[in-house]
Amino acid sequence: MSRGRIAVTGIASFLGSRVLRALAGSHGGKAVVAVDIAVPEPALGVRHRVIDLTDPASGQTLLDALREEKVTTVVHAALLTNPSRDKTYTHELESIGTLNVLAAAAAAGVGHVVLRSFTAVYGAHGRNPAFLTEDRPLQPNQSLAWARDKLEAEQHAASFARRYPAMNITVLRMAPLFGPGVRTFYTAIFDKRLVPVLMGYDPLVQLLHPDDALAAFVNVIESHVAGAFNVVPVRAIPLLAALHLAEKLPVPIPHPMAYPAAELLWSAGFAGAPAGFVDFVRFPFLADGDKARRELGFRARYSSREALEAYLRYRHPGRALRPAVAGA
Amino acid sequence: MSASGFVAALGRALEAGAGAMSWENVARVWRDRYFARHAKNVDDFGFDPKFNAAVLPLFEFLYTLWWRVEVTDVENVPGEGAGVIVANHSGVLPWDGLMVNLAVRHEHPAHRQCRMLALDMFALLPFFAPLLARTGGVRANPENGERLLRRGELVGVFPEGVKGVGKPYTDRYKLARFGRGGFVRLALRTGAPIVPCAIVGAEEVHPKIGSMDWVGRPFGLPFFPITPTFPALGPLGVVPLPSKWSIDFAEPVEVETFGPQGADDPILVSRLSEQVRGTVQRMLDARLARRQSVWFG
Repeated sequence: MSRGRIAVTGIASFLGSRVLRALAGSHGGKAVVAVDIAVPEPALGVRHRVIDLTDPASGQTLLDALREEKVTTVVHAALLTNPSRDKTYTHELESIGTLNVLAAAAAAGVGHVVLRSFTAVYGAHGRNPAFLTEDRPLQPNQSLAWARDKLEAEQHAASFARRYPAMNITVLRMAPLFGPGVRTFYTAIFDKRLVPVLMGYDPLVQLLHPDDALAAFVNVIESHVAGAFNVVPVRAIPLLAALHLAEKLPVPIPHPMAYPAAELLWSAGFAGAPAGFVDFVRFPFLADGDKARRELGFRARYSSREALEAYLRYRHPGRALRPAVAGA
Repeated sequence: MSASGFVAALGRALEAGAGAMSWENVARVWRDRYFARHAKNVDDFGFDPKFNAAVLPLFEFLYTLWWRVEVTDVENVPGEGAGVIVANHSGVLPWDGLMVNLAVRHEHPAHRQCRMLALDMFALLPFFAPLLARTGGVRANPENGERLLRRGELVGVFPEGVKGVGKPYTDRYKLARFGRGGFVRLALRTGAPIVPCAIVGAEEVHPKIGSMDWVGRPFGLPFFPITPTFPALGPLGVVPLPSKWSIDFAEPVEVETFGPQGADDPILVSRLSEQVRGTVQRMLDARLARRQSVWFG
């Protein structure tokens, strides 16, 4: 693959900005193009193209930009971690935006596209096996527009991978990020004292340290390996153990009540996520990182607990975590 | 252990004086109480060694004193590497799985831990699900079973499934159909030997004399049993009756010679499944013929 420029979309997102900074450091600012309506940090010295992916004409402008900048790799990180009440906008950005990016990349002869995705696209279901592998059919929870848009982005990627075998498409399905700098609707749960949990449920959750997420991006940008890969931490942690580590008071709520209550709070503007997300604290959606280990040689460095502890140190720098009485 | 942890935490909170009742301290007391009984690291399937150690005394009381479990030929369970223990299922609640686990842990020279594959009705039930996972249970599905066997673990399965636990008292010790041979396919794919196992005594702990299935349906239960003590005695009705138990293990069925491709041969799968079922039924019949009393063996 000839050494052209690397384009990064979604540079205002946490991961997008981290990837942009890492690439500017390793490849030099001149070799990196930020594609976003947001302006990159001037200190990075990267090139910038102002393109709105929700603009219906963005396919053509993107194609022109990719050609002019001689882009050979596109890192598409313009996907939203936080659910939005504006479903039209998120659909345009995530589903149609991804379609535009893929179409422009295919037309411009880009050799490699990296799509940021989420392990949540597998859906949290009671019948999930303890570890979801990449060949598992994606069944995002019904009623969740957030997950449907991600699923459509993945479906576009799969369809382009079939139609353009010369273009390597890598999909990185990342476990929920937890660590320094991460501020999302689910890390906000850890900023409260009382945390509602579902009575009688305690699923294992995977929390991915952002350094591991970044390492996975760097890995595939260098290796150009195509396919879908789960990017997950070393070990999962029970939800209750995570809450207690963070010194939260879990308040058990019966699940038949939790769904309507969550929907009400979301509609009223108090909650950060709609009722569909209740399933993610009820059922497991653990992904298996074995394929990334085998084919990419990627190994996460942090466990879920370490990622959580790193987040807590970042949020509460003054507070030392005291060990529990009965030791480790 | 948990009580002392709680007292220590409470003492520390009180020592801190008037400010002790702040949110932070309540949360800390709660946290210390939690980690007194739960490990900070659990395995891939949620097994929590610390929690297991905390509840073990109750299970051991049931094993040695309540049911006086008698175990024979436990050496048939492989001392190392993968293995599938296949047993008859009974007794409304999955006590039999717990007891097989303890039998292998205590009586087997290698003191192995056996991972029980649990039915959906238990593995998806609120309160039950986390309890099962923490004590080493795993939801029964082909992916989980294969993963455990590939790691060289011992896996316990009850192929009768719901038909086994939910059968009326009059059908006791008559094996129901062995599912669709999923356990045979697991063994064939991984080359793990199958160890037939017969449990006598578990049928009598909660004798199901009737059912009110409509009560359980809103809670996702496939059946709702009526026993002589449940629901008549309320929560007390959950206390199992003290029958005398025996757990017999038969010679392992080696399936490695068929190779992994054998799993795609439905005739072979059903033949092996029936063979194992026949062995378990014969062991049950032999044990029942010798048994003189439900309560004293």
